[in-house]
Amino acid sequence: MATMTTSATETCDVLIYGTGLIESIVAAALAWQGTNVLHIDSNPYYGGSWAALNLDELKAWTDRVNETATNNTPFSDAYLYISRNLDPRKYAIDLSPHILFTRSDLLNLLIKSRVSRYLEFKPLGSFHTFEQDSFEKVPGTKEDIFTSQTLTLLTKRSLMRFMKFVIDWEQNTAVWQEYKDEPISKFLEEKFGLDGPQIVELVHSIGLLPTPNAPTELALGRITRYLTSMHVYGNFPAMYSMYGTGGELAQGFCRSAAVAGAVYRLGTKLKSFDETTGEAELDSGEKIKVAEKVISSEGTVPGDEEITRMVAVVEKDCKEWFAEGESAAVVVFPVDTLDGNRFAVQVLVMGSGSGQCPPGQAIWYLSTQDRGEQGRKDLYVALEKLEESILRESTENFEFDVNEEDISYLPNGLPVISSVRLGESLRNFTPKESLKYLLKLTYSQRLTVSPIEPTAASKLIHSVAPSIDLAFEDIVDQAKSLYELVTGTTDDFFDVDFEDEDDDATATAAAADSDIRDIAEDNDEDVAGHHSDFEEVAGEMTI
Amino acid sequence: MSSLDSAPSAPKPTASVKLVLLGEAAVGKSSLVLRFVSNDFQENKEPTIGAAFLTQKCTLPNRTIKFEIWDTAGQERFASLAPMYYRNAQTALVVYDLTKPTSLIKARHWVNELHAQASPKIVIALVGNKLDLCNEGGENDEEEDRRKISTEEGRKFAEEEGLLFFETSAKTGANVRDVFLAIASKIPEEIVNKRGGVAGAKGRTGAGEGRVDLESRSGENNAGGCAC
Repeated sequence: MATMTTSATETCDVLIYGTGLIESIVAAALAWQGTNVLHIDSNPYYGGSWAALNLDELKAWTDRVNETATNNTPFSDAYLYISRNLDPRKYAIDLSPHILFTRSDLLNLLIKSRVSRYLEFKPLGSFHTFEQDSFEKVPGTKEDIFTSQTLTLLTKRSLMRFMKFVIDWEQNTAVWQEYKDEPISKFLEEKFGLDGPQIVELVHSIGLLPTPNAPTELALGRITRYLTSMHVYGNFPAMYSMYGTGGELAQGFCRSAAVAGAVYRLGTKLKSFDETTGEAELDSGEKIKVAEKVISSEGTVPGDEEITRMVAVVEKDCKEWFAEGESAAVVVFPVDTLDGNRFAVQVLVMGSGSGQCPPGQAIWYLSTQDRGEQGRKDLYVALEKLEESILRESTENFEFDVNEEDISYLPNGLPVISSVRLGESLRNFTPKESLKYLLKLTYSQRLTVSPIEPTAASKLIHSVAPSIDLAFEDIVDQAKSLYELVTGTTDDFFDVDFEDEDDDATATAAAADSDIRDIAEDNDEDVAGHHSDFEEVAGEMTI
Repeated sequence: MSSLDSAPSAPKPTASVKLVLLGEAAVGKSSLVLRFVSNDFQENKEPTIGAAFLTQKCTLPNRTIKFEIWDTAGQERFASLAPMYYRNAQTALVVYDLTKPTSLIKARHWVNELHAQASPKIVIALVGNKLDLCNEGGENDEEEDRRKISTEEGRKFAEEEGLLFFETSAKTGANVRDVFLAIASKIPEEIVNKRGGVAGAKGRTGAGEGRVDLESRSGENNAGGCAC
């Protein structure tokens, strides 16, 4: 730890450049393992490409993207419209929106590292598929299938058979082995007799895959991800963290790293790094002696994947799309539902309960894997459909009659109105009002990769950009492989023996070492006895 | 275990309250908290590492406040505190060093930051620390008075901004408990009576509505919404 004379910034074991989610996980893992980490970011905020920005930051970001965009930068072609008189601090626009499935390695890590305690997670149970001009609620459970009014008995039976198979599909290799690299749609059709809408829902809304041509092995994993995540915490498969998931997670891991002793400097550029001398230079002119490695999120090259994004802030709360008590939804426009779109358009809808916008508003995050003009065109068509739909569904004085046959009953006796009939009735409705857009942003995001395959001997390692999947995928694996390049093993990745708290009887203490470092640099230290890296204090007191 | 028998048995409303520490490096932020949390508790066990924050209960005649105390973890040193730090903070301790004039200037900066980033209802205490280095009126001939910021100066600033005001010594413990006690008494009633306080067992505070507690995977019933 810091001594009286050495400033912690002059030397470090590992310098990490960029505070994106993966780099932040690596920083925390290394710091807890005992590595002396200096973590810097050229931006004045945490999260890099994963950040959620307020409107002032977003304007600056847009300018920067357009001034500096090259083939190697993660973002390009940013167009921003912001209506006047918005309070910039009341918004958090997520640059790379992601959702978190309740059964995933990232979630396990969040709990194990206790980073989850810094965050506020909210449920996401509403997944809709856009079909024949209306939104269908996805039947994600056996109960949904059972009560569905639209499915024939035969389809129900096929779906049930598939649900039973897929839960432990990895063991049942005999069923899918020959379809391994074949399109998932072919597999579902030939092996389970499923067709049209069921395939679309399984592939696009449950699997969140861009096309029905996705290879069967990959697709089965994605479909299972959703299905096994149901009922882990409740009647929803996914969650998000308030104020922008990726950025918040990154901040949480950075805080964890700081508690373990990592030093943080935002708004600081890495000017150069000399691999032979191990000397790094910051834009402030300071030189840092790096004993081990530099991990950098810059200097990467574009990979194969690209995503076109649109963000729209609308003056509607959009609660019609949310499940009871929730404040978010996923809407998917399958392939060929928007003037011949080749890839699905995925929409993450965030209401004000997400902490990302004020009450009475919602944010629509649209994305497609189609590129350039075509991608933007698909997004604009999807935007129109969303607009039409929300205007229809939110019109207050719109009335319709419910017939007895529109109602089905759940096993517990509760009546439900068939959403399909609702959609049909609404189809003939013409909205009298128009939707007000408070913000519109379009941009392209490239998945960037390391220019060369790093080895254990590399002094400079590159990290990778956010995954293109709507859910967090491979994040922990990517963090682990970076960690392994530094330490040579993943055995001790977050192998920290956090003591368990006895919730109420005793209060638990933290590693409150920050000011201990500060004190150490100050000869006028005022409190003796706080020189260990971690102070332990526990207890309950009565005043 | 030490006896906790001083705790009264009648149930009182309990609220979890997030408290953040702010102030220039080396003014004694962590020391104040360590003094507050450890003072009344002699058992020093092996270091507990990894807890997300310190927690400490403060029992008042009519209610119990459970402080969830967030340390800067050094992230303030290069102006790198995350927005997460300020989020849902109901109270803040802005600390300066009575012997260091620049630290009061820095304190003004932090108060402004809190007004900009934290909840408008936040309860802020301004704390001038290192009172032990102030040898008022030369009471003790052998030590010089190193005070550079007068009590009046601090109090005036606190009054202008509507802050609680204390001068403390983390070293001797002078006034440390009074700070937290005063904050605890200032917490608005509606926070104490909010349902979120009860769920605070895991140290969660703030806008708890519809939140998912990741550490209880008991399946159904844990999602928000279920008002039962």
